[in-house]
Parts: sequence; structure tokens; C-alpha cells
Amino acid sequence: MRRENVAIVLEDIVGPRRVLKRPSELVVYSADGLPSYRKQPSLAVFPETRAELIDVVRALAAIGAPFVPRGAGTGLSGGALADDVVLLCLNRLNRILRVDPANALAVVEPGVVNVTLTREASKHGLHYAPDPSSQAACTIGGNVAENAGGPHCLKYGVTLNHIAAVTAILPDGEIVRLGNATGETDGYDLLGAFVGSEGCFGVALEMMDAPTVRAVEASIYAAGYPTDAEAVLLAEVDGLPAGLDADVRVIERLCMEAGARTVKVAADDAERARLWQGRKKAFGAMGRISPHLVVQDAVIPRTRLPEVLARIHEISGRYRVKVCNVFHAGDGNLHPNIGYDATDPDETVRVHAAMREIMQVCIDAGGTITGEHGVGLDKLEYMDLIFSPDSLAAMCQLRDVFDPERRSNPGKVVPVRACREWQAARSARSA
Amino acid sequence: MTLTVGAATSDGTAAVAEAVHAAAAACTPLRLVGRGTWLDAGRPVRAITSLSLAPLAGIVDYTPGDLTLTAGAGTTLAEIARVTRAERQWLALDPFGSPEGTLGATVATTSAGPLAHAFGTPRDNVLGLEFVTGTGAVVHAGGRVVKNVAGFDLTRLLVGSWGTLGAITEVTVRLRARPEVDATIVLPAPAAPTSLGALLDQLRAAPVAALAAELLNAPLAVQLGVADGPALLVRLAGNADLVRAEQAALAALGDAAAAPVDVWDRLRACEPAGAAVARFSGPPARMAATWTHALEVAERWPGTAAHASVGRGVARCVLPTGDARALASALQPTFAGTRIFERLPNELWATLAPTAVADRLSRGVKRAYDPHGLLNPGILG
Repeated sequence: MRRENVAIVLEDIVGPRRVLKRPSELVVYSADGLPSYRKQPSLAVFPETRAELIDVVRALAAIGAPFVPRGAGTGLSGGALADDVVLLCLNRLNRILRVDPANALAVVEPGVVNVTLTREASKHGLHYAPDPSSQAACTIGGNVAENAGGPHCLKYGVTLNHIAAVTAILPDGEIVRLGNATGETDGYDLLGAFVGSEGCFGVALEMMDAPTVRAVEASIYAAGYPTDAEAVLLAEVDGLPAGLDADVRVIERLCMEAGARTVKVAADDAERARLWQGRKKAFGAMGRISPHLVVQDAVIPRTRLPEVLARIHEISGRYRVKVCNVFHAGDGNLHPNIGYDATDPDETVRVHAAMREIMQVCIDAGGTITGEHGVGLDKLEYMDLIFSPDSLAAMCQLRDVFDPERRSNPGKVVPVRACREWQAARSARSA
Repeated sequence: MTLTVGAATSDGTAAVAEAVHAAAAACTPLRLVGRGTWLDAGRPVRAITSLSLAPLAGIVDYTPGDLTLTAGAGTTLAEIARVTRAERQWLALDPFGSPEGTLGATVATTSAGPLAHAFGTPRDNVLGLEFVTGTGAVVHAGGRVVKNVAGFDLTRLLVGSWGTLGAITEVTVRLRARPEVDATIVLPAPAAPTSLGALLDQLRAAPVAALAAELLNAPLAVQLGVADGPALLVRLAGNADLVRAEQAALAALGDAAAAPVDVWDRLRACEPAGAAVARFSGPPARMAATWTHALEVAERWPGTAAHASVGRGVARCVLPTGDARALASALQPTFAGTRIFERLPNELWATLAPTAVADRLSRGVKRAYDPHGLLNPGILG
């Protein structure tokens, strides 16, 4: 169906003001948090209610139109880019439907902003633990799609460990309930498969987030930001007050034994917030240094950190690029960032060559290519480096159970060439 | 008939793949077997040929500083406990039954015990695995690092799939540091649901971050030698300051006494052969109601040991062997929450819990990974 006709169908559901068609309007949606990828959607549609979202997905199914679900567009993998297909924007479905403090459970729509949920939960002495750096803007739906992490996931676990159930609409329009928020489940863990499926399995209508862990009194321990230090380690302990001072003393001793120059303990909550602010806004701060940025997200076994950091230093020197490491040391989740100017072709080539080499070093150390940002478009080319053809084919098979027509977020996560059935179909077509 | 395969090497996996290929060629369904300590769990399997994964035993990789461990699926939980204890670490999974059970079976059946209160179930502790699908393909899911979102999450799909999507050959798990102090407190538990509910509310509000909190019915508490009536066992862990403060907080809730920490091992072992096991679950805030239901079942079936993980809202009844029809009526009362059976006399499955995989997506997943229906056919219905 032609683009104009798709627009008419969608306008019938959400009204003309919530379907964007003009290139000048759509350009806003042509990138996510990684500015190096640009793809323009054919249309962008903004359902505001659950019923509208269901109607939109069903209409797209009836037409056979591919689409890309999108939350706040803060992702760092190019996963929410729509290449001349419909962009399904979920950020207006932003209602917290219910908070059940006794069961530490919240029921939310996909467009609820991460920090809004934590703010709401904190009224009941609870908080929602996964806290990506973009938490002031990113949505729970996006977090579920990416299985998002954040600094506090070291202690509390990632999004997967906090989602009790999801009501989702499959790309063909069927509504399914995955998981069980009020008891155990048996049978296949389809919820576990859905979380982190990067929008390729369908669209979440409603999520039951649990357990929103009790935020007990927090006592904070953190290093300061001396400007002449080689590195800064931020460590936070939380829990019941009784044991915290002893934990802080242990951390202090271990840091000093390991060669730390100084250890500074945040005296109050304001100082704690300031120290974290420096960490959480690091990506933004890099924008002051250079106009473009590539961000990596590899994870390595923790004991390999010193050696891999030394290799990264060596590689960045060789390619004459400036790597800024801001990362989750406790998880071994590295974020080497390289700021550069994309209009300089020579620098761009060097940056990408350095990135590829860094990725290979992480893989050789027994690591993986992404810990919390997702594969999206950005890491597609690395999937073959860590998964065998049979393993990639198994992923394609799973996707085909949820979305046999591969209309939801097409072309992401698994390189299409890896799918055996697709190859078989292609050779049959060309025969 | 039992097929066995070679040792826990890449050859072991290849041998499993070869066995599955051969079974596919001969249209012979396979019953996957670990150490055989829990073979009466799940629905009856329609296969006469067994494929033993026990030979895939041994630690493949263990770097204590990484707090991760990779082992062949046939490695026993006891062996993992022994190896990690030497480094003051542990795999925080304590499923009920024998510690001689295998890691592969624990993961395949997503079996969890009291520690799930703090550390979750296998789903939360498995980082990656290798499995052989029903077509003989060897698939690697996840990895050996603690955070990983590369590709679709086949690890979660395989955990709890009871061998019906693939034979798990190798598993990587997250380990934890063993706590400095590990102490257990026993409190008397009131029988009346309202007073029990009040006690559980107080426990939830108390400054206590327990590793486990388990209710015991009177016969079980007596059998374990911790009390002469219904009791609440709370496992505390951390540094000495913390545990001392938590003990004081619990003492404020009732007549608290210390219990030996090996009570947890003995609780896990209270699983008589041939017993039927049912779990009842609901929202944690409704634990008292769920527990009341478990006690009703226990009263109808003498000798039943009942216990419940109060933070998770899950009660579990272990019903000694007996006449199947009478057992069915003991289990019959309606329950508002979720009822899952671990073990039942074969003839009762069809009426009490015919299937766990009836929905379209589950059937699609099964067709994708085991198109010929070779692997543990029938165990999930």
C-alpha cells in the first residue's frame, strides 16, 4: 500500500494531528541517542490510548506494513530507527496504571518514563532499580525492549529481573499475556524471551514491574573527582544501616590496598547526588569536546579489566583517537567512548577501525558485544563474531514464532544473512 | 534402554548431537536424564530410550575473581558447592531434593529453594548455556559475562523448558560471595490466618534483609527439630553488625531462637521417594491465605510436609505416597492463585494439570526447536 494510503488508515484511528508525514517533521525521528546513524521513517504515528495502539498494530497487520516501535529514542544502538517504514511512537502511552506497595508491584504503560516510575514508587518507600543514564527521559517500554541496565544493576539486577509480566500485542494483532504477576509460572519463559527482544517480537501494551526493591536508608560511599587522577571509581553501598559502616570500611581498606591515592566518602545526600551526576551526565559532557560520538557497550570478565583497559589505551594511541572510558566496573561492562568529527573522513575511518579492534579485544577476553545497549543496527556486524551460524539461526527461529513476517523492527538484532530459512527461501526464489 | 555419551568436553556435546541425530533418523523419542535423582518429576514422558547427560560432568571454567562458573550439565550441585566453597563463594541455588542432582536438571526444570527469596530462581542466575536442539544443532546462548543483551535471549527460553526444546549440555552461572556470618532464627508462627498475616506484615516492614524466610507446618518443624509447632525460619547473612541488628529486630517480633544453619540442608532433603509435590502461589501480600490453603491440603493428607517462601508468596506441599484417587480429592479444593505440580502419580496429570504449553507461542517454540517431538515428549503436556 502506498504511503499516503497508510497515512489515511492511521489518521482514521488517531486523527490527523498524530500522524506525521512531512520530511521536516520526520527528521526529528531520524536518529536515536547515537548520532552516527540516520534513517528517515516513512510516517510516524502516536497512539495515545491502549485501544488506539491495538487498532494501529492491527491496521498495520492488515496492510502488511513493517513498523518500528519507539519509546523516547534515547537508545544507543540505532535500534529505534525506521528506514522508510512506519515509526510507532509509544511515548504518549505514559500512564502509571497502578502501584501496589504491599506486593512491590507497579502496572505501567510502555511510555512511562523510568524516573517517573521511581518517583511514584518512592511515595511508598520503594524504587525501581534499573537506572540507565538516560533515566530522566527513557521509557519503561524501551527499557523492556533493550533489557536496560544501569549502575545499580550490579546489586539489583537488570530489567529482566524486575519485570513480572507483560501484556503485549504481537505483530499480527494478537494480544498475549506473558508471565504472571501474581504467582509462579510454568511452561516456557516467554516473558524472559520477550524482554530484550528489541521490538522484534511485538509491542508491550502494559507491564507489571516487580519487585520494585525497597529503598532502605542509604549510606553512601564514593570516590571524588580529582582532575589529575588516572581513573575514578564510584562505589555505592545501600541496605540496612546496621551493616553499612562495616562495608564502607572494607571497601576503603581494599581500595587503599589496591593502590588508590585517596578515598572520599560522600558526607550527605547532596554530595552523593553530585558525584553520581558527574557519572550519569558523562555522555552529554562529551558533547562539549566533539560533535560526534561512538559508544561501545562490551562486557568482559571482571578479572580481565586491567589488561583490556591497557589494550584500549594502546589501540587509541595507535589510531590517534581519544577514548574516554566511563563504565560499570562491577559488571565488567565497558563503555569506551570516542568523540570525533564525522565530517572529517580520515578521523572517521580511524575511529571506526579503533572501535572494531577494541571490540575484538573484548571478545578475545571472553566477553560479549553488548551488555545493556542492545544490538540494534550498531552491533549487527559483530554478531557473527560471537555466535555460530546455528546459534543465530536459533534466534531467527524464535523471532519467527513471534513475528513470522518479520515486520516488527525489521533488519535489527540478527543479521538477516544468518537466517537459514531466509537463505533457503532466497535460493528457492532465485532458482 | 539408556544411551550414554562421552565426558564433559566438546566431544561430549558432539556425542549428544550425534545421539539426537540418530534418534531423529530412527524417529526414536528420547528421555533426557541427568543423575536420575528426580525422575518422577513432571508428566510421564512418552519415550523408552533414555539419553544420559550425566557424563557431561566437570567444571569447564572457574575464575573466582569473575564470580562466574561454567560446568558441564552433568556436574552435580554438590560438586559445584565443594569447588566454590574453597573460594568462599557459592552458587545461590538450593532446590529441594538431593544435592547429587545435576546443574543441567536444576536449570532445565528451573528448580529453586529457600534462597530464591534473596537470589531468585535459575532464570536469574544462569548467564549462558549450550544446548542441542531436537534437530541436533548445537546452540550457544548468552555468554560467560554477568551482563549480556547480545541477540535474543535463548537462555531464558531454555531455563525451565524441561528438556523439551534442547538437551542442555553446558551452563554458565553467576556466583556470589559467601556471607561473613550466616545465621538462622526460628520464630513460632501463629496458626490463625489473621495473626499470621499480621506477623508477615511486621516481618516485611522490619529492618531485615533475609536470605530466606520459610514457613513450616507443625509436622515439618517437628521433623526438622526446630520447634514443636508451626514455625517461621529466617536466614540472615552479612557482616556481624548487620546480622546482630537483624537478630534484634526479629526478637521484637516474637519468641526468637537460634536454629542450626544445616536446617536448610535438612529441609531440602525432606522429599520422600514417590511423594506428590504441589506448589501454590499468589501475591506475596496474600501469603497468609495461600498458606492457609496449603495447610488445608496438608490436613486432608496426613504426613504432608508444608512450607512456604513468604517473600515470594509460594507454598509447597510434599504429600507422601498413597492411593491416587484419594490424593486427587485431597488436592481438589479450589484455590484462587496459581497451582503448579512438581510430582504426581502418573494417572493424575491428565485431570489435574494436563499441559503447561498449550498456547500458540509455546507450541510454535516447541515446533521450531524440536520439530519431530523427540525430546522429553509429554513432560510439559
